[in-house]
Amino acid sequence: MSDILTVAEAGRRIAAKKLSPVELARAQLARIAELNPKLNAFLLMTEERALADARAAEARQMAGTLRGPLDGIPIAHKDIYNTAGIRTTAHSKLLADNVPIRDAETVRRWADAGTVMLGKLATHEFAFGGPSFDLPWPPARNPWNTDHFTAGSSSGTGAAVAAGLILGGTGSDTGGSIRGPAALCGISGIKPTYGLSSRAGILPLANSLDHAGPMAWTAEDCALLLQGFAGYDPADPASVNRPVANFSADLGKGAKGLRIGVVRHFFEDDHRVSDATLAGINAAMDFYRQEGAEMCEVKLSPMGTYHAPGYLIMITEAFALHAPWLRTRYNDYAEMFRDRVAMAALVTGSDITQAQRQRRVLCQEMAAAMADLDILVTASAPGEAPLIADVPKWTSMEKPSFTMPFNLTGFPAISVCTGFGAGGLPVAMQLVGKPFAETTVFRAAHAYERATQWRRRRPMVG
Amino acid sequence: MSTHTMTEAELAALLTYNGLSLTPEQVRALLPGAEIFQGLIEKVNAPLPREAELAITFDVEQR
Repeated sequence: MSDILTVAEAGRRIAAKKLSPVELARAQLARIAELNPKLNAFLLMTEERALADARAAEARQMAGTLRGPLDGIPIAHKDIYNTAGIRTTAHSKLLADNVPIRDAETVRRWADAGTVMLGKLATHEFAFGGPSFDLPWPPARNPWNTDHFTAGSSSGTGAAVAAGLILGGTGSDTGGSIRGPAALCGISGIKPTYGLSSRAGILPLANSLDHAGPMAWTAEDCALLLQGFAGYDPADPASVNRPVANFSADLGKGAKGLRIGVVRHFFEDDHRVSDATLAGINAAMDFYRQEGAEMCEVKLSPMGTYHAPGYLIMITEAFALHAPWLRTRYNDYAEMFRDRVAMAALVTGSDITQAQRQRRVLCQEMAAAMADLDILVTASAPGEAPLIADVPKWTSMEKPSFTMPFNLTGFPAISVCTGFGAGGLPVAMQLVGKPFAETTVFRAAHAYERATQWRRRRPMVG
Repeated sequence: MSTHTMTEAELAALLTYNGLSLTPEQVRALLPGAEIFQGLIEKVNAPLPREAELAITFDVEQR
């Protein structure tokens, strides 16, 4: 059993006055100082801010005025989240000296909830290009084996959570950038429903696909963290004005009675996963069946049919955002970002209209498939993390992504660790819910995590 | 993979049309990606049903 606390446990101890937020912050800062040189998870540590936040939390603890379960919890933000007065670079030379004047709305809401900000986390350049070795800062490394990839683009958050440098952090997900690193780093990470969490003040990649979400060691922690920033924000045009559910409300209900559909062709035929990933998903399905969930198999369009319009829309929206700099400062971007986004030059107006038409049909297909279900299950990633030096430039186009279907359709999806492969690195599954049914997604994920041993094992960073 | 293999000259012309100034070496480095990407473009151009109409642009009932 690890001595690194979860968000939930730390919150309980702080509430019971058995844990000092200042001591917790100091311990985390010491751990970052020790391990970050091996992991490159942090681009910037904000020690003074962290200790000020922690002292304020401790004062509330002593006064009995804690703001909730996130008060005093050490977190950090992906470096595309604007932080007032604190450098926000998008891990890019182009924004190396960028200091925003105001916080992203999500950053502000976590600060208001009492979180303790430890710093800014590595990302793939502008949340897309990576891993890159031609940027001002090196790419994050996987704590389970530092020769291996974290996936991206929320690479620093994945590495920092897995290594226990932070208890939770922010990610963003346009085609899988929360769930990919969560899968390869063996943690939990949720891409909420499109419109649930504000993107205002987060540097965009592709507006119609971008989602903001939390990453943490457990699904229970993700529920607490998402609660801290979910909800309407008029500054985000995609934000939905509706009441926010209590995401932790059903955590204790178990899996009995859940209606679960498995999209088996995604991971057995469309993009064959590793033996360990397949075994993990099958074992999870056995668990749900034994717990009394109703199981069935679901057939959707081939995963590539989701991937193609998603990728085209992502690339063209990214090109539209970056065109002024791509035209004048092309060589200031890293090769991975600029070469991938340059593909937008091949897309015609007719192509992008067809992609949007296909998106509409696929949204309808997904909604129909889930009409009588609570959860869909598929893989999060094809297998264990590859060597970081072996990630091909065109990898994200070559084979269909397990995560893109839920960016394209906007459905909420979480990645959950299901064990370890032959190389000793984590494997994972993805649980998908109906729009705005995050409470059910967390219920299903928590039931599995609580019943299995995977949350008891932490990486030994060496 | 695409059924059409794009030449370096075709790719360079498209990049230039979109305002991107790349060296010949940089254009050549994009060719393998362009071939894969053309496959994705072909996929989105498959025939679609009537339900694919982008009818969400406006609400005809609006007064």
